[in-house]
Amino acid sequence: MRIPIYRGQVLLVLLFGILSAQAQLRQVAGTVSDPSGKPLGEASVRVVGGRTGTSTDASGRFTITVGPEDRFLAATSVGYESAQLPVAQETLHFVLQPSATILEDVVVVGYGVQRFTRVSGAISTVKGAEIEKLKPVRAEDALQGRAAGVTVVSTGSPGVKPTVLIRGIPSYTGTDPVVVVDGSIQTLDDLNSINPADIESMNVLKDAAATAIYGVKGGNGVIVVTTKSGRRNQKTEFSYSGNYAMQEVLNQVGVLNATEYASILNEGSMVSGGKLAFENIAALGVGTDWQSQIFKRSPMQTHTVSARGGSDRVSYFLSGGYLTQEGIVGGGDKSYFNRLNGTANLVFDLTSKLKFTSNTTYTNIRNSGIPENAINSVISNALNFDPTVPVLNNFPGTYGAYSTSPRILSEIVNPLTQLQDSYNQGLTNKLYGKLELQYEPMKDLKLTSRFGYTNADVSGKAFTPLSYYGAAHINSTLYADGTPRPGAHNNVYEYRTQYFNYTFENFAGYHKTVGGKGALDLVAGFSMAKVTGSNLSGSRQDVPFNSWAFADISSATGIATTNGLDVGSYQYERRNLSYFGRADYDHDGRYLASATLRRDGSYAFGANNKFADFFSGSLGWVVSNEQFFKAKGIDLLKLRGSWGVTGNENVNPQYQRISTLLYAYNVGQNAGYTFGNEPTSVGATIASFRNDDLKWEKQAQLNGGLDLRFAKDKLSLSADYFRRDISGLLFTPTLSLYLGTAALPVANIGTTRTTGYEVTLGYTDKFGKDFRISTNLTYTHADNLVTETNNGLINGGGYGIPSQSVTRFEKGFAPGYFFGYKTDGLFQNAADIAKHAAQPGAQPGDIRFVDVNGDGVINSDDRTQIGNPFPDFTMGWSLSIEYRGFDLSSFLYASVGNDVYRAYERNLAMTNKFRSVLGRWTGVGSTNDANTPRYTFIDANNNTRASDRYVEDGSFIKWKNLQLGYTLPSQGLSRLGIGRLRLYVQARNLITLTQYTGFDPEISGGIFDTGLDRGAYPQARSYAVGLDLKF
Amino acid sequence: MEKRIYALLLASILFVATGCSKFVDYDPHEDFQITSEDYLKTPDDYRKMAIGTYSPLQWLYANPVIGDVASDNSVTGGENATDVIGLQQIDDYQVNPVNFYLTEAWRSCYEGINRANYLHENKVRLDFAGKDALYGEVYFLRAYYYFELIRMFGDVPLFTEKRLTASDSRKFQRAPKADVYKQIEADLTEAIRMLPVVNVQKGRITRPAAQALLGKALLYQNKFDAAAAMLENVVNGPFSLVTKFGDLFLQAGENGPESVFEIQYSNVSPFYDWSNPGRGQGNLAVQMCGVRNLGGTSPYASGWSINLPTKELAASYAAGDTRKDATILNIEAYKNANPAMNITYLVAPYRNTGLYNHKYHPRKGETSGQIELNWLNNYRTIRYADVLLMAAEAFNRAASPNDAKAQGYLNRVRQRAFGDNLHNVTATGAALRQAIWDERRLELAMEGDRFFDLVRTGQAAAKITGFKVGRNEVFPIPQQEVDISGLNQNPGY
Repeated sequence: MRIPIYRGQVLLVLLFGILSAQAQLRQVAGTVSDPSGKPLGEASVRVVGGRTGTSTDASGRFTITVGPEDRFLAATSVGYESAQLPVAQETLHFVLQPSATILEDVVVVGYGVQRFTRVSGAISTVKGAEIEKLKPVRAEDALQGRAAGVTVVSTGSPGVKPTVLIRGIPSYTGTDPVVVVDGSIQTLDDLNSINPADIESMNVLKDAAATAIYGVKGGNGVIVVTTKSGRRNQKTEFSYSGNYAMQEVLNQVGVLNATEYASILNEGSMVSGGKLAFENIAALGVGTDWQSQIFKRSPMQTHTVSARGGSDRVSYFLSGGYLTQEGIVGGGDKSYFNRLNGTANLVFDLTSKLKFTSNTTYTNIRNSGIPENAINSVISNALNFDPTVPVLNNFPGTYGAYSTSPRILSEIVNPLTQLQDSYNQGLTNKLYGKLELQYEPMKDLKLTSRFGYTNADVSGKAFTPLSYYGAAHINSTLYADGTPRPGAHNNVYEYRTQYFNYTFENFAGYHKTVGGKGALDLVAGFSMAKVTGSNLSGSRQDVPFNSWAFADISSATGIATTNGLDVGSYQYERRNLSYFGRADYDHDGRYLASATLRRDGSYAFGANNKFADFFSGSLGWVVSNEQFFKAKGIDLLKLRGSWGVTGNENVNPQYQRISTLLYAYNVGQNAGYTFGNEPTSVGATIASFRNDDLKWEKQAQLNGGLDLRFAKDKLSLSADYFRRDISGLLFTPTLSLYLGTAALPVANIGTTRTTGYEVTLGYTDKFGKDFRISTNLTYTHADNLVTETNNGLINGGGYGIPSQSVTRFEKGFAPGYFFGYKTDGLFQNAADIAKHAAQPGAQPGDIRFVDVNGDGVINSDDRTQIGNPFPDFTMGWSLSIEYRGFDLSSFLYASVGNDVYRAYERNLAMTNKFRSVLGRWTGVGSTNDANTPRYTFIDANNNTRASDRYVEDGSFIKWKNLQLGYTLPSQGLSRLGIGRLRLYVQARNLITLTQYTGFDPEISGGIFDTGLDRGAYPQARSYAVGLDLKF
Repeated sequence: MEKRIYALLLASILFVATGCSKFVDYDPHEDFQITSEDYLKTPDDYRKMAIGTYSPLQWLYANPVIGDVASDNSVTGGENATDVIGLQQIDDYQVNPVNFYLTEAWRSCYEGINRANYLHENKVRLDFAGKDALYGEVYFLRAYYYFELIRMFGDVPLFTEKRLTASDSRKFQRAPKADVYKQIEADLTEAIRMLPVVNVQKGRITRPAAQALLGKALLYQNKFDAAAAMLENVVNGPFSLVTKFGDLFLQAGENGPESVFEIQYSNVSPFYDWSNPGRGQGNLAVQMCGVRNLGGTSPYASGWSINLPTKELAASYAAGDTRKDATILNIEAYKNANPAMNITYLVAPYRNTGLYNHKYHPRKGETSGQIELNWLNNYRTIRYADVLLMAAEAFNRAASPNDAKAQGYLNRVRQRAFGDNLHNVTATGAALRQAIWDERRLELAMEGDRFFDLVRTGQAAAKITGFKVGRNEVFPIPQQEVDISGLNQNPGY
């Protein structure tokens, strides 16, 4: 802790006069080498806290001039850990340890590390420094716009998983890439338990050359997360960073105020032949704005402390983090995400040849959510609820704090009552990490045995109280006086899920020099992986006092299995056995070749197809290392190409199951029958089908790319083109209805093709002594096409009541495209209707639907593609500027061509309407906009059917991050023992430019739910202050 | 030391790499799952499977509603024009192939057929006492499901050999009605041979039930001689007309002396699944029929004001006909007649007629759990009065008519309705036929047969506003079946 004081004095001396210092200068010489004694050329050596610096020559030697107050020298080299030595002796010998994790030009690949210049596959990297700047809640948010080829659709719901697509949508069964944390395989869901501040780097493996080593797991791409580790022979560096943010909703959606609502209801009722819904409109005023009632300004804060360092045989990274995010919908009582992390990453040199690594992280997560992105979501209720009633219940003697509507009698309820009655909490305790032995029996041969594990206990409970939504509301379970309706009970549900996953991997790495100029790297090994989980749940009714405070099975008195409050359990298991190998050959730094082979066995697949082989090959040519290459200013030109096959096993074992349940909830299968007044007789039926031929989804991928660096490494460009052909696509097909209701088996059906390209452009420069600029532009484009479905199509995400299906997976179209009627303005008069194809029920003012198939009738055959929820391209632009102590960073993200389907409009006669209805058709020539047909309660034309009326362009540009920081001059701080103190202000989601009329055009979900806005949780705009401290 | 570790590592690698391919085998027993390999090994397994074959009957709760709202008996009503949209479209004769209720009926019938077929394909695996009677039930059920399909949709895919598997998707096209009827007749003939006349367990299928259904199927094909002969068996069977017509539809009247076949519903196993609301043990159609927000001390409970009888139906009952009040509940009149009950209610918000389906109106205390989903009211599928009227029609329309017998059967029904002989019909020939048809409406109103009777007897176009001959005799095939299986759509849809 004394060093900074010296450092400060140096600066003082420099301030008072350089001349006086020059008088006492002296020369220090030395060498820099790696642990084997190999000299390191071009290593940088500088005075700690000073301005003097030099670099080593080819034989690793240096000389440097030091002043009397200079106490320490530091040496750094690419690919190595830096080291410090005191300037006590005249000759200094630095021994630098190879960096175990990524440094500037190293990428972490499956079962190894490669230097960037030697990589022939397609890999994107996001470094820890960038993640640290963004300070995301979930680490994958940092990939959005920063890693080319990766599409991230974020959600605003605290802690919830975003949609992550690596190179488009290969498969319908799941698009989550596999996540490898420090070598152990986890899932995207697990990423919520990692503190982003602990991450050293994230590498995204995209092409088959990079992913084939993960075989059947690698089909959707691989995110390799490397966490921070200790540094050998360094004093302990302590750091703290804290961030406090206030979050708020970006905008509100335009709905009618009370007066407008009343008059439109009157009009709808009159047009339908009814009487006035409201006699006196004038007294209503603007009424209640329910959106402003549910959205809250909510805080979020993060704190991380860490210690990092090491001796000559042990290195350590210790970290503790705490994050608490309260939701902007309903506030922190109802929607929150709290995470506590503790990490200890330790490396021990047991002997000179045997190294033991233990990475351990404990995570504790507490969270609570509200109903979202559904017709019964809080946001949907806020948009559709009656604006004429006050916020609070003003009928003395009736139950409930909030008002009820005398008009809306089903489905839509007061959103505040709903929020108040939403009670749930989840608790996760998770321990994950790895134990690894690395043994080097001889030079260039490394044997690694690694056991990666995740153990989690997840528990939670939910309480459904008796509720009052109005005397006549069908969902009320209480009468107005607060007494329960007959047969109504509250209930509490509790569950415990435990899961344990492990990967046991054993592999050998061998490095050999071939004929002086060639270098061969071999990796071979095998892996056993097992995923197990079990769940136990139960529920009871009659919680005392209808209160959350007593909501527990132990206090609820009603055991009511006949009311569906039963105990349940499930267990799952998944096993893989794999053998893998890779050979990388580098000839003279000019010609690169790589080949990968993996044989995978999976528990999930049919008896006839237990094992499959995956392989890939890649070639690279570093043109700039050729003798003939003379292009000035180009520092690196590398051409790459690869082809290979990976897989996907997102499926469960298929077998012909017999169900003896009275009901299978949500499946709609029952097999009971009640004769006369007897108890129900239990029956049996076939509930699912088997498929012994079930096998891998195979993904063949072709990649071509180049890496270019020029103008003294100031400018860099990486570009890739790819084509992925997926065959044997796993999905549950839509089959003939006459097969009945048994669950259909997943089968290898269909093919898709994705083509695309991605570009990363970087520029880094330094002007003068103090001004640094660094900027990066990424561009990602992918075209997805379903090329074969053999056996039908899939209807996907629905909305509304009754549910209308609006997304499809169908041959000849993009996966998950929007499907419905095309509109063509409005019928202005009877003549228009007569001229048009037969459209039953149409009247003037109704929407004219397009007769797509030209058969003269508007019917379901005229439905067609009306939109695509996935963007044509996405771009990210990051900018970082440093000037003296100030730093500014900014990140913009753009998504272009993604459509959004507006599905939060309930369209019941009495629910509130959206402002567009004010421009409705009122007579011949008033409007021809299909978005604003005439208004009527009786919609014989079914104007509300799924059509392009509800499809909007969701393209957007978001200013995701803007941060201004100031690092205090170190001289003052050093007296306090502080090495570095940076203060900053930050704004996230500062500005969103979009034409979408809903809250947020980023709607995450599976393929069938992405872009379908049923009242999705919008992302918050937040303003934060924070500090980073090192000492 | 290091060498030993090295050796250990190498040994473990060899061990695991060579000996572990079983690591990825899968047995459903690991997940405690019963599969078809574990099943149909004991008589009890067969009996359970047969019960499972009954279940889809309950899923057809909306069929009787469709049979009335599609006819001149009732309007859909509901909360507004978009409430229960599928039923509104049927009522308004604007039905299209994307219709929840029609699709549900289609799928449920085919699930029932597949369940029956599974037992059929495994018939030879085990012999046990009572197997014949059990299979009699199974063949009856298959015939019932096909009959529901054929009268709703016309020609339908026909398969009987086995439970279809996923690979059978798209293999079947629509079979001519005649072929399906042939199968129905064959199944019922077999069932009649196998079934006992009386079944101890109430609601279990009996021989007369199969005879009655066969008679009905023959009547629908205008095979009057055969129908008359078959129905005569049931007329002479162990049944009688309940004295007081209204008692038939009370809980106490379920599975009574007039009951030939009833689809059983119950509230003893409450159901909660709103995502598949008709798939439990309760009768959702009863919830539909109720007066909205009904308060007071009447025996009736609230519902959704759907399937409202028309005023024209009410007016068609003659004075003194006890069936009128038992069929139709005029809530305002009832309220005024019973001031002590303090009745309050919400006037039906859409297409109000002031009238409600009294036969299936929800009654207090007859549901449980999720109250909307668990009404216990059985659907009186075939009752003795229906058999008498079918037999009367068959004898009247037979090649050599027996109008005396027809009159006798018709008048038994009328005598019960009026409580006297003063309203007996004496007409013969075509006039008698019309009288029988009209009687069917009065006797069976709100029991779901009216639309099919009107179509069958050629009266539909005259009686139903919006009915188009050549189109509306059948409903459209569900769109998904047209899209996926490539079935031809019915004309006009």
